[in-house]
Amino acid sequence: MFFSDKENSASRNFIVTAVFWLVIGMTLGLTGAIEFTAPDLSTGVPWLTFSRIRPAHVNTVAFGWLSMANIGIVLYIVPTLTRSKLFNEKLANFVCLVWNLAIFGGILCLVNGYSEGREYAEFPVPIDVMVLTGLLTLSYVVYMTAITRTVKKLYVSLWYILGTFFWMPLVYFIGNRTFVRLEGLNDGIVNWFYGHNILGMWFTTLGVGIAYYMIPKLSGRPLWSHSLSMLGFWTIAFFYAPTGTHHILQSPVPEWLKALAVVFSVALVIPVITVLTNFFMTMKGNWWQLANNLPLRFVLTGAFFYFITCIQGPFQATRSINWYLHFTQWVVGHAHVALLGTFTFFDFGAIYYILPRILNRQFYSVGLARAHYWLTLIGFLIFFSSMTIGGLVQSAGWHAGIPVNQWGIEMVPYWILRAMGGSLMWFGNVLFLLNVIQTMRAVKPLDSPDVEPAMAPAKS
Amino acid sequence: MNKNYLLPGIVVLLSFSMIIFSTVLLPNFIFKPAPSEFAVKYTPLEAKGRKIYLREGCVYCHSQFVRPQDRDFGPLVMAGDYVYETPNVLGTIRTGPDLSNEGGKHPDAWHIAHFKNPRTTTPGSVMPPFVYLKDEEMKALVAYVQSLGKKRIVKYNRIYHPDELEKVLEKRKVNVDSSAAANAGRGIFQQNCATCHGTHGLGNGPNAIAIAKKPANFSRPFFKDYDDVTWFWRITEGVPGTRMPQWGKLLTEEQRWYLVAFLKTLPRENEVYPKAYETLDPERWNEQQKISAAELNSQKPAMIIETKGPPPGAGGGH
Ligand code: HEM
Ligand code: HEM
Repeated sequence: MFFSDKENSASRNFIVTAVFWLVIGMTLGLTGAIEFTAPDLSTGVPWLTFSRIRPAHVNTVAFGWLSMANIGIVLYIVPTLTRSKLFNEKLANFVCLVWNLAIFGGILCLVNGYSEGREYAEFPVPIDVMVLTGLLTLSYVVYMTAITRTVKKLYVSLWYILGTFFWMPLVYFIGNRTFVRLEGLNDGIVNWFYGHNILGMWFTTLGVGIAYYMIPKLSGRPLWSHSLSMLGFWTIAFFYAPTGTHHILQSPVPEWLKALAVVFSVALVIPVITVLTNFFMTMKGNWWQLANNLPLRFVLTGAFFYFITCIQGPFQATRSINWYLHFTQWVVGHAHVALLGTFTFFDFGAIYYILPRILNRQFYSVGLARAHYWLTLIGFLIFFSSMTIGGLVQSAGWHAGIPVNQWGIEMVPYWILRAMGGSLMWFGNVLFLLNVIQTMRAVKPLDSPDVEPAMAPAKS
Repeated sequence: MNKNYLLPGIVVLLSFSMIIFSTVLLPNFIFKPAPSEFAVKYTPLEAKGRKIYLREGCVYCHSQFVRPQDRDFGPLVMAGDYVYETPNVLGTIRTGPDLSNEGGKHPDAWHIAHFKNPRTTTPGSVMPPFVYLKDEEMKALVAYVQSLGKKRIVKYNRIYHPDELEKVLEKRKVNVDSSAAANAGRGIFQQNCATCHGTHGLGNGPNAIAIAKKPANFSRPFFKDYDDVTWFWRITEGVPGTRMPQWGKLLTEEQRWYLVAFLKTLPRENEVYPKAYETLDPERWNEQQKISAAELNSQKPAMIIETKGPPPGAGGGH
């Protein structure tokens, strides 16, 4: 399966294995969430302890699910947009194998305590090397596909994708440079340059690129404005990278670095608004399609959450608001509305559209897919509101002089709600995995293709 | 390759290298704080404990930097405190308390009991139990935790209750009734306090308009009741629930006494508080500012300080 030369097989392998990692990652997250309500659960079991589960959760969903799903989708989009075959299918399949091994090894390392201890860069050195090799190889494949393309013009999605594959290997390298020993706060500064850019220059740029492809494709309407999309690309490329310090805005790092981070974070409103304007204007007059176009509904729900994320973000990055919100559960809410609400939803929509076209067969069940949408959405809304409100309660308490420790008790309702929302999402995505497996196994579809045309390949 | 894309390619390349230069390389070249008094050079045992701290992921719930607005976590940290630390354990979330000044807060036995089951020492805590740590690991971890902040908290001996402040009076070296002290305090006030409390202490600094709980106006008559210790305590502790920070963490004891000396000289009897304060119109803010400034000038400004009567205990101060 991993040494195939078939067209789109790499894309398929990436997507399908990513869905497995999603369920594993969510199981880890849910375990963590439950441990907040029952902290003695992990007594005497090192690998079940929350503080070891947490990095495993974050790395699984970030590198196992989101990165691999994004790559799988990109490996489908790039050949389609350039109207040429992927430059080297075998190589891409090989990367898929390497990444799967890396994530598997990485999780085992993390739950057993082999961690580098820097947030988002916890994987030990051998895993880092594997991930980086994979990234470089993918860059090579993607760039070569683009260079040997047959259409001249580059659609905006390709700009995003090519940009990302240029800077991401560099960002990853900087973030995981264990051989350069930096002391104290400098280590923190570089850590958060990386920690931020893996979000901003990897998940965001790939995710937005994917949405730029999916929305016109799924709605059948041309993109509203090409020049606006270019403005969005250039501003995001320029404004995102210097903002890492906003994650440690109140620590004693140099003031000029903080000022830089705040100014650019606020400037990020520009790319966000241009991107969203473009998305929503493309949909103008077509909103009715949401009623019977499930993939489109996923993508636009994601776009809506993108709006929330990126309104929170720039404000959160200003000093006075960060003063209030930093260190609280609000930030956990923000992290999930970004990675789960936005980019995971983009990827769901894209997978429901792409997988049938790669496999050339209809999705197994539309009913399961609908259940997936609603369970994930409702579960996520519960999760997100409990974290957001809980965060506000926390910081109100701290500012009134109530010690942090008190919150073990005050936060209980929010932690229970988070676990409940998490369970719903977990259940929804187990259904998703089931649906994908059944589709892979070519089990006879439950419904006829006209129930959900976007989830079936065009009859040709 | 298509020539049309050469230029964009170069622009991406240039801007990205510029960003890497300014946010990754530059800080490492120019930001080199000198080790402070509290930078911990770890003993082998403590270093081992730090490794366990990283391995167990304590950083996912505990931060290690104190901010001005934090209460209970002890004195503020400085850049120089971190020079021997790598990888960093600054942390981004406080599910548990900050640990910058943890050293010396609790006895070793407390820590061991707490690690084994946090709920024995801290009811309601959500910290996971670390019973599985071997004895020598536990010892190392406790040694590390006790090294944090180099017992800064013990050294600074924080004051929490006004009753304890009588002790502070005894070791006071500043003569709060001298005009020298008041003038010194005026400088500190203009630098730190005036943005909220206004240059004349009328509670009308430029930030006041944006704050829901308005900063104190020191011309209010009830401030007559404040004695030295109350002033000192108020400055030290800040006002919970408002934007007033705990200056005890930011200013030295001597500086705070200078502030007390200055605050005592502000005119109390006259209500110069702008009348329409609560209904201030941001559009007309400048105008109203002018009015109150004019009003103020007709009164005796507090900018030049003469103290009434001879300073008591002259020679006792410095
Ligand atoms: C069933 C679903 C999920 C549950 C129950 C869950 C639960 C959690 C929990 C309990 C934490 C730790 C928060 C803390 O320290 O207080 C966490 C952190 C995190 N999770 Fe999830 N999670 C889920 C799904 C996801 C998904 C799908 C993603 C991304 C695609 C994700 C990304 C993250 C990230 C980035 C963090 C770190 C947040 C931070 O550092 O502030 N999670 N999650
Ligand atoms: C306009 C854009 C954005 C800005 C200005 C922004 C700003 C911020 C700030 C200031 C924080 C730190 C909060 C704190 O700790 O006090 C933060 C945290 C975070 N943001 Fe964003 N954000 C933006 C968009 C995004 C996007 C698009 C993503 C996902 C790809 C994202 C993912 C995260 C995550 C995962 C965290 C938690 C980091 C951690 O502590 O582990 N953000 N963001």
